[in-house]
Amino acid sequence: MNPFTFESTASGEILALIYDALMEYDINLKAVPSLASSETSSNGGRTFTYKLRAGATWHDGKPVTAADVKYTYETLAKDNVGQFGWTLAEFESCEVPNPLTVVINYKVAQAWNPAPLINIVPQHIWGSFTAKELASYTNPHPVGSGPFTFSSWVVGQTVQVDRFPHWWGTLPAVPSVIWEQFDNSDVMVKSLESGDIDIITEVPTLLWKTMKGKPNVDAIAMDSFSFHHIGFNVSQSKKSGANPLIRDLEVRKALCYAFDRQQLVDLCLAGYGKPGSVLLPPSFGNYQEHLPSNEQFNNNPDKAKSILDAAGYAMGSDGIRSDHQGNPLSFRLIAVETTDEDVLAGQICVERAQQVGIKLTLDALDATTLGNIVYDAAAPNWDIFIWGWDSGAPDPDYLMSIELTSQIGGNADVFYSNEQYDTWYTEQAATLDTNERAVILHKMQKLFYDDAAYCIMWYQSKLQAYRTDTWKGWQQTRGGVIYNFTRSNYLTVKPV
Amino acid sequence: MNRRYLLRKLATLLVTLFATVTFNFLLFHVLPGSPVQLMARSGHMDAAARRQLVRLFGLNHSLPVQYLIYLRNMIHGQLGFSYVYRTPVTSVLAPAIGNTVILLGAATCLTVVVGVALGVYSASRVRTLTDATITVVALGAWSMPDFFTGMLMIFGAAAWLHFLPISGISTPGLATGLLGHWWDVARHLLLPALTLALVNVAQFSLITRNALVEAMVEDFVLTARAKGVGRRVVLLHHALRNALLPIVTAAALYVGMILGGAIQVETVFSWPGMGLLIYNSVEQRDYPVLEACFLLFAIAVIATNFFADLLYHALDPRVRRT
Repeated sequence: MNPFTFESTASGEILALIYDALMEYDINLKAVPSLASSETSSNGGRTFTYKLRAGATWHDGKPVTAADVKYTYETLAKDNVGQFGWTLAEFESCEVPNPLTVVINYKVAQAWNPAPLINIVPQHIWGSFTAKELASYTNPHPVGSGPFTFSSWVVGQTVQVDRFPHWWGTLPAVPSVIWEQFDNSDVMVKSLESGDIDIITEVPTLLWKTMKGKPNVDAIAMDSFSFHHIGFNVSQSKKSGANPLIRDLEVRKALCYAFDRQQLVDLCLAGYGKPGSVLLPPSFGNYQEHLPSNEQFNNNPDKAKSILDAAGYAMGSDGIRSDHQGNPLSFRLIAVETTDEDVLAGQICVERAQQVGIKLTLDALDATTLGNIVYDAAAPNWDIFIWGWDSGAPDPDYLMSIELTSQIGGNADVFYSNEQYDTWYTEQAATLDTNERAVILHKMQKLFYDDAAYCIMWYQSKLQAYRTDTWKGWQQTRGGVIYNFTRSNYLTVKPV
Repeated sequence: MNRRYLLRKLATLLVTLFATVTFNFLLFHVLPGSPVQLMARSGHMDAAARRQLVRLFGLNHSLPVQYLIYLRNMIHGQLGFSYVYRTPVTSVLAPAIGNTVILLGAATCLTVVVGVALGVYSASRVRTLTDATITVVALGAWSMPDFFTGMLMIFGAAAWLHFLPISGISTPGLATGLLGHWWDVARHLLLPALTLALVNVAQFSLITRNALVEAMVEDFVLTARAKGVGRRVVLLHHALRNALLPIVTAAALYVGMILGGAIQVETVFSWPGMGLLIYNSVEQRDYPVLEACFLLFAIAVIATNFFADLLYHALDPRVRRT
């Protein structure tokens, strides 16, 4: 419940109703004024001036002032606690000309303003904490300025928030929101069908299919901000334990050609997703690069064979190709054992690679073990893995940053490094014109795609379900009705 | 009771405990890699934020130092700091222990009472159709995994009957006062407790039945019968007392088994006890919580066996001579 240090999506969802941010994402995921009634950008996109709403109060009755905003931004930037520290990497300073005006300065122009992700906290409660206290503070009774006040939290079971009657905005029709944690998906689905709950954040594919057509239940599928990928260890580290042949671009390209993305979607996701290509999922709209199918390394085993032939990998008598020195194209493939669709994808890939003369040996591991093996940045001893990414924001910045050279030792999972990519990343982050930014993002996606360090398998759909006889007006959007970057639906649904 | 016997048993208990504590610590700390890495992955933390987490969790010390800190904290009753809840493990554990005790207490009472009663009933009608039916049904239930029985219960209760809650310990948002709350909890308790009892009842009914059947042909039973003591009195007062030893053994072993079963049943029914906590902590890699849970489970099993030893001593004069 600590808005600085929380990690789970569930916590973020709850905190977004208790706290306000200066800006928030509306139902179309466009940033609109929230706790601030207006935002003006100046100084070439480096400075943002916010007017706070007069009359906004904390849940304990004290007024919200610019000093609270200044405290929140400065603490997040200085102490760099938790998962949102990165959003303020270029924060420079914060000025308070009067109690209802805040001026935030960044070192460089901000193509994407992180304001909607930063929950403003009351300085009179947090101000006395040291950085260490802040990091270990549970915040069992959060006091925010948002549309709902904290009511109760039973660890591992439920959290309840109640409507805050003095909120500055239009009061929601919902008197309380209760989130219940289910540890069994079947029970969760049964609870929706029997009317014990109103909406489910995420439904597993197979169960979701069984819900279609059930009375008073609407099961819906939307685009998500996520993808699953096959990652190739392209680490340049001398201590890398990978089969060095995986660093040959031709080998990686051949593997990508061997796999069929549509087949993977059909078999692993029962069709509920889109075949993968570039780094950004379709939810990013114009920012996603659309590669024509003839430029994609996809489902062409003959092409894979000819690439390998041309690169000098001759077929052996055992059906496995090897290079001139006789080193076989034999790689280890690891996947998370509890992620069924990934393991299934792994099995399919083993078979498809076999057809072009590449041997993959699949090993399913638990997520922790896999993470520790993959993330051993100094001496990564693995060849290929299957995993996924969710975007931390409805802006490309997050997903594009993973592949930066500076992320090696951080989030980079295949240890990709390309100077051109890094330069373009910095450039796009400061390009204010969305069309110009899109052009740079397209170039980056194409570059990364052609280097074939990732083979993105699919962009999975977000599968949700809700009851139609309790609340009405759930609006669908990319990323999901709820459990998304917007809190809009909580504020707008009406009783049936 | 012999003091030397008690001291010897106590010493064994302490050595076992110490070994368990050490093993428990090593189990999680010798795993390669850092738990912080995965946390950072999902949250895009940079190097500085990650270092801060490492310090917060005390992972910046060497392994022997971490071990000593672990021992020192344990002596002070502190079980570490949860990675996920960012709070001392004890504050996460306390409510979970309470809920597990409620569930296991109810399930155990149900299991032992029903199991022994069924066993006695079965033995009194040995080699009849009733005896055979009880044995077969009990064995059938015993051979089913806890989670499967739980799922059957859920589908029975939720899909067809609609009368019992199938998830959690209480209805969220229901404000009905203390009595109403307890009634609500009792309704939630019924299905998981019944599941555990169904699966485990066979152990007691079969052991009781077999021990009784054996005891019933012993000379002392024949003597008692010859003296004119009624069949029912012989069964309950003479034979059952002798049959208690294997039942006590079974009860001691049962604690270990039911703790394992609790993990499955609590997960199926989202009952917020230690089993569910363990399941969630494994999923979220919350090692300090896992360490504490395993430690408590180990203590529970060790303590039960210790008391079973003492109980033997009281029940069976032959043990006293060893």
